[in-house]
Amino acid sequence: MDLRARLTRAALARPAVLLATSPGATRERLAVEAELGRRGWPSAAGPASADLLVFAGVPLPLRDDDWAERVWTAVPAPKARVTVTDAEHAAHTLDHGHRTLLTPAAHPAERHETATAAAPDHGPHDSQGSHGGMDHAHHGRPPGTVAGLPLAERAEDRDGLRLDRLHVPLGPALPDWPAGLVLRLELQGDVVRRAEVDPMPTPAASRPAFWSEPWLKALAGEPGTSGEAARRRCAAHLDSLGRFLGVAGWSDAATRARRARDRTLGDAHGEELRPLVHPLVRRVRKSRTLRWLTAGVGELPGGPVAGDAHSRLIGWLDGIEYALDAIGDRTPLADHPLIGPRGRVDDTEAPASRTLLAALPALLAGAEFACARLVVASLDPDLDELAARRAPDGRTHG
Amino acid sequence: MAEPAPPWAALVLPLALALVATALATADARSTGPGREVLRLLVQQRRITRAADVPLVRLATTLLPVAAVLAAAVLPLGFRPVSDLPDGIVWFNAMEALAWAAVWLAGWGPNSTLSLIGGYRFLAQGLAYELPHMLAITTAALGAQSLRVGAVADAQAGLWFAVWMPAAFGIYLLSALAMAFWGPFDQPVGRDTAGGAAAELSGVDRLVFLGGRRLLLVVAAAFSVPLFLGGGHGPLLPGWAWTLIKTAAVLGLLLWVRRRVPTVRTERYMELSWVVLTPLAVAQALVVAVVVLKK
Repeated sequence: MDLRARLTRAALARPAVLLATSPGATRERLAVEAELGRRGWPSAAGPASADLLVFAGVPLPLRDDDWAERVWTAVPAPKARVTVTDAEHAAHTLDHGHRTLLTPAAHPAERHETATAAAPDHGPHDSQGSHGGMDHAHHGRPPGTVAGLPLAERAEDRDGLRLDRLHVPLGPALPDWPAGLVLRLELQGDVVRRAEVDPMPTPAASRPAFWSEPWLKALAGEPGTSGEAARRRCAAHLDSLGRFLGVAGWSDAATRARRARDRTLGDAHGEELRPLVHPLVRRVRKSRTLRWLTAGVGELPGGPVAGDAHSRLIGWLDGIEYALDAIGDRTPLADHPLIGPRGRVDDTEAPASRTLLAALPALLAGAEFACARLVVASLDPDLDELAARRAPDGRTHG
Repeated sequence: MAEPAPPWAALVLPLALALVATALATADARSTGPGREVLRLLVQQRRITRAADVPLVRLATTLLPVAAVLAAAVLPLGFRPVSDLPDGIVWFNAMEALAWAAVWLAGWGPNSTLSLIGGYRFLAQGLAYELPHMLAITTAALGAQSLRVGAVADAQAGLWFAVWMPAAFGIYLLSALAMAFWGPFDQPVGRDTAGGAAAELSGVDRLVFLGGRRLLLVVAAAFSVPLFLGGGHGPLLPGWAWTLIKTAAVLGLLLWVRRRVPTVRTERYMELSWVVLTPLAVAQALVVAVVVLKK
């Protein structure tokens, strides 16, 4: 082994992973996150700091925009990418990606590939960095171009100043972001002027949406206990909590929430979970800084998620503690009202996450970028719920 | 009276700072050790976005560690700084303000929306922290009646400034975190903007920029020692040892704060800073001025 290969091996012993989740791939995402936690591989905040790009679920292009390819070209060499399509094979797939990353033969080709890609050709949407661009094409005629990119036009901002307007798609490959959500933002500075929700189409799934699975099963008449449902609810709220804390910049607490979530899903007893969950819940609940930072953000006057970001957070904390106490419950779930982590689960109404998505544009207009991220994280819509169910016999409904 | 250190100290200074920064990173490491992380970034390709302003990005990344090392020139180890300028406190403040330019240019240069947002955030953060910060360091200078860092440390042979000007000390610690955009003030490079001002930096650029940030944090924390914690004064041990111990204690405190507190958004901090901290800092300066006049 020559020195170069040995250095690369040492440098990339723990590659930084950028995880991009497709809608409907929650199981795969959770498996990958748990495995990354076990291995101690750091998670990258964006493509520029990543070595290994992991897709949970097959990344489908959004209209004509192959976002997965864009993200891939933005990752600096040496790099590797893998797609996890089966939660059970997450560890194996990560090993495979790591091997590819360390294979010296792969590097010259990769280097060449990025060298050309990093120069002009990012595709029509990637004029602005690696997360999507200033997409002016359908917003009037640009006044000029630089390096083939249109310049930003101006408009009055909230204080009446004429400022550049940037059209930025947000998502789908952002850290702590709902899988499959794309927001079309119009930004002035870091203030959102307008937002449109443009969710990726969720592919028809043969399995029910992961977070509402116990309730959907009960609805279909399958047996299940309230204890199992409580476990799923507890994990779902811990997952939302972890993402919210990640967006709020409290990485220490976010890591704890994720660890507790993985243990909850891993069939640990309620007694084992309490020492993990209770101190975390207590600390988050009592944090005055967090209250100061999130109170008044994304206030909704009514509906199932009324209140501001902080009250929704407290709602999760209550839900976590309540669900934790009910994990041992052996009564059949069908005897209880079918209310999943995000709201009522039934056949007739639209899934709860559709209401959450509908609330977004009004809440985001006028918010600063950081607040916009907090609003999205505090609603945490689950786009898996929007998928049409493909029954085993091939029919779709839902 | 502080005597200047020998000329070779200027060469040792960056290495010593890097050593402390590495020790801090080791204490802070959650998964990857700093050595491995440095190696990883050295192996990584440097990439740049389309229509980026490459000279600006390069300037920005190198400016940060340079500013940190230059600011450290007036830092006394024990009682001997590399250069004991008569207006050392002003020098420190000026060098630390170079970070404004560095982070803004790093955000602007890559022609990327998320990194631009990171740049904006740091400017706003600068507006929020700088005023109380300057009042706080002025208060220390006022207490010693000198802008010379060595004289400020000497004035604390008896009583530490942190004891009789606690508000100024607290404000200084907050602004130390803010100027190094670290811990609760890491919004300019926040994860919610996929890394903010550093979002598009990879390889060596990333290493130099984020390494520079750590140096700046170490320097800002170390500067609180001569300003408020009695410099090298202390029983039994030599001055340089006391400086190191006190610096380590301050860094440990900052590390603890980072674990306990989420990221403070600039717009909320701005309110706190201008409505509460600035008047508080003025009141503190007033109290100190009255005490000094009465002596």
